Amino acid sequence: MTTYTICIFTENTIGLLNRITIIFTRRRINIESLTVSETERKGVSRFTIVIKHESRETVEKLVRQIRKIVEVLAVFGYLNEDVVYNEIALFKIETPLGAKPLDIETINNQYKAWVVYWGLDYVVIEKTGTEEEIFTFFEYIKPHSILEFVRSGRVAVGKTEKGLVEYLPETEWEYYL
Amino acid sequence: METVSVVPEKETITEEVKLITGSEALMRSLVAEGVETIFGYPGGAIMPVYDALYDFQDRLHHILVRHEQGAAHAAEGYARITGRAGVCLVTSGPGATNLVTGIADALIDSTPMVCLIGQVGKNLLGTDAFQETDVIGVTMPISKWNYQVTNADEIPDIVSKAFYIAQSGRPGPVVIDITKNAQQELMTRPFQYQRCQTLVSYRPRLIPKQEQVEKAAELINSAKKPYMLVGHGVLIAKAEKELLTFAEKTGIPVATTLLGQSAFPADHPLYAGWLGMHGNYGPNVMTSECDVLIGIGMRFDDRVTGNASLFAPQAKVVHIEIDPSEIDKIIKAHAPVIGDAKEVLDRLTPLVHPNDHTVWRNEFRKYDAIEDEKVKRPALAPTTEKIKMPEVIDLLSKKTNGEAVLVADVGQHQMIASAFYQYKRPNSLITSGGLGTMGFALPAAFGAKVGDPSREVIAIIGDGCFQMTIQELGTIAQSKLPVKAIILNNNYLGMVRQWQQLFFERRYSFVELQNPDFITIARGFGIDGHTCNHREDLSASLDTLLNSDKPYLLEVIVEKEENVFPMVPAGTSVASIRLE
Repeated sequence: MTTYTICIFTENTIGLLNRITIIFTRRRINIESLTVSETERKGVSRFTIVIKHESRETVEKLVRQIRKIVEVLAVFGYLNEDVVYNEIALFKIETPLGAKPLDIETINNQYKAWVVYWGLDYVVIEKTGTEEEIFTFFEYIKPHSILEFVRSGRVAVGKTEKGLVEYLPETEWEYYL
Repeated sequence: METVSVVPEKETITEEVKLITGSEALMRSLVAEGVETIFGYPGGAIMPVYDALYDFQDRLHHILVRHEQGAAHAAEGYARITGRAGVCLVTSGPGATNLVTGIADALIDSTPMVCLIGQVGKNLLGTDAFQETDVIGVTMPISKWNYQVTNADEIPDIVSKAFYIAQSGRPGPVVIDITKNAQQELMTRPFQYQRCQTLVSYRPRLIPKQEQVEKAAELINSAKKPYMLVGHGVLIAKAEKELLTFAEKTGIPVATTLLGQSAFPADHPLYAGWLGMHGNYGPNVMTSECDVLIGIGMRFDDRVTGNASLFAPQAKVVHIEIDPSEIDKIIKAHAPVIGDAKEVLDRLTPLVHPNDHTVWRNEFRKYDAIEDEKVKRPALAPTTEKIKMPEVIDLLSKKTNGEAVLVADVGQHQMIASAFYQYKRPNSLITSGGLGTMGFALPAAFGAKVGDPSREVIAIIGDGCFQMTIQELGTIAQSKLPVKAIILNNNYLGMVRQWQQLFFERRYSFVELQNPDFITIARGFGIDGHTCNHREDLSASLDTLLNSDKPYLLEVIVEKEENVFPMVPAGTSVASIRLE
């Protein structure tokens, strides 16, 4: 299984998320994570979808099908080495009286994670990094009773020199894959 | 989320400008778009539009169908013969869901269609209001584009966008869901209609890249045994002449897909036949012999390739196609050319060397001789008690000189209509290819006749199919258009029965029909007709049908258990083609 990051630039209209995801559903491709936000260009949304698949060919076909959607401006399929990517995760950790204290120094220095909220008997720790880095931290913090854990899903930018949005909408887009 | 649609900023309006309702704006938009015909059915959520239509009857010819599925197929028939989008107008809920089969059919067969659908008022959306269905959700995977209009101001721009999307690039169906309030309310600015010419995010490539054309030409010029497979895309692009020029210059034999039938004249020496599960012997097996395969405006459907991994593994493939997602989807292309078939052929022809490939072409003839002996001659021989389907189509072909439009339904009779009619003019076989929608033919034949009344349109229908949209006899009768229909009645769902015979040990599971008296039914609708039982009456029966200046139904009682051959069993290689 190879991880692919699919970046989709679209017009910002109602229903596009649905239009895009049914293309995955119909081909029985599971979405590992998905984030959507507006880009630096007004009215242009950026979807970042992470999938795992054994067939590059299938992913290429998927990319072409997504490109077919009328409101889609451009689609790029990336391998991990082609992108700089990160996620953000929040950990809500129980800190009851008498429990083993959190080693904040290790959390900060070794894991580059930060306590962003102090509750009465819990703290919220923010950890930014790749999926692997987040799970390494997850393993470390697990003994401290995790009350809640949430990941944002991947955001990614290509390692090309140009800004992708600069390509829109004048040039003829090529699929990255 | 906000739209970044083509709607411009609201303009300030002066008192004296007359503002119109959304419904009237819709009517004016259709007129401005050049729409002449609407196939529709009224109902609650579309009533304001129908009220506006009352005043536009002189400019917009509305045809009242008997079921919304009939409207969809009629619009498809209309689009297939005119090349312009067929227009459907229906109400919300069941009106919309009844269109669904036709929308799916139009998508898979690349047929331009604009469906205007009523919807409950904006304030009622999501409340399970009377006749509310999530039409946008339902049609999202089966339409090329859809959009929900919730205010009157959007109407002109959305209509123009809809027609542009439906008719450009690889055509397809577009759905506009219009809430009732948008139909009723006044626009806040003066009506203005501008035909959509381009969209930021949707730019189909018509003109091919020169390097792709050159690479294709190089492959074609190097070929010893080149072979062309042409599909519906040639007809959509109106590239029949360009195809003929290209073929005659290169001497490359041409086979068509089912939907590509009539893109190349059947009486031309370069015409090899048609491809597919029930296509001709030579054209199918020669895909395993050729060294360069040129697919034009076709998508290597599984009914064409059989087992795709065994399809033409020896051949280098040139794939000329307007939809980039079709490239490498089924068959890997060595030289893909993205573009409109006409534009591509125009640029390709000057680059290819003249040739005639006589020896190679003669190899096809060997297979033709075998097919003639094993399939065609026996199929046409008057050896059975009852008439056989091929006899009917063959005689019809002769009587009409191959110049009629056949609208075939789905099943054995469809394959026979494709195999035994000698198509001489473009757009002469209209049938549901991709979806295989039974019940398509009667309404589609009607739509085709509306689209081009100058052509003889004959529906070829099985007894099973006929009963799926039989109510459209009412539409035909009311229109008085001389649509002709031939029912090839074997009292069976013949193709399913054939499969059960060949692959399920003759276990005939629910395929025999107890049919009504079709002629009495037709007469009940005010349509004349008769039944032909005997071979000696067939010629006169066809004459009666063809000479009628009114709609006419001819029922031909055919052999019950004839099979259609050749046949490539599903999932096998085309080399496994069976002749008997």
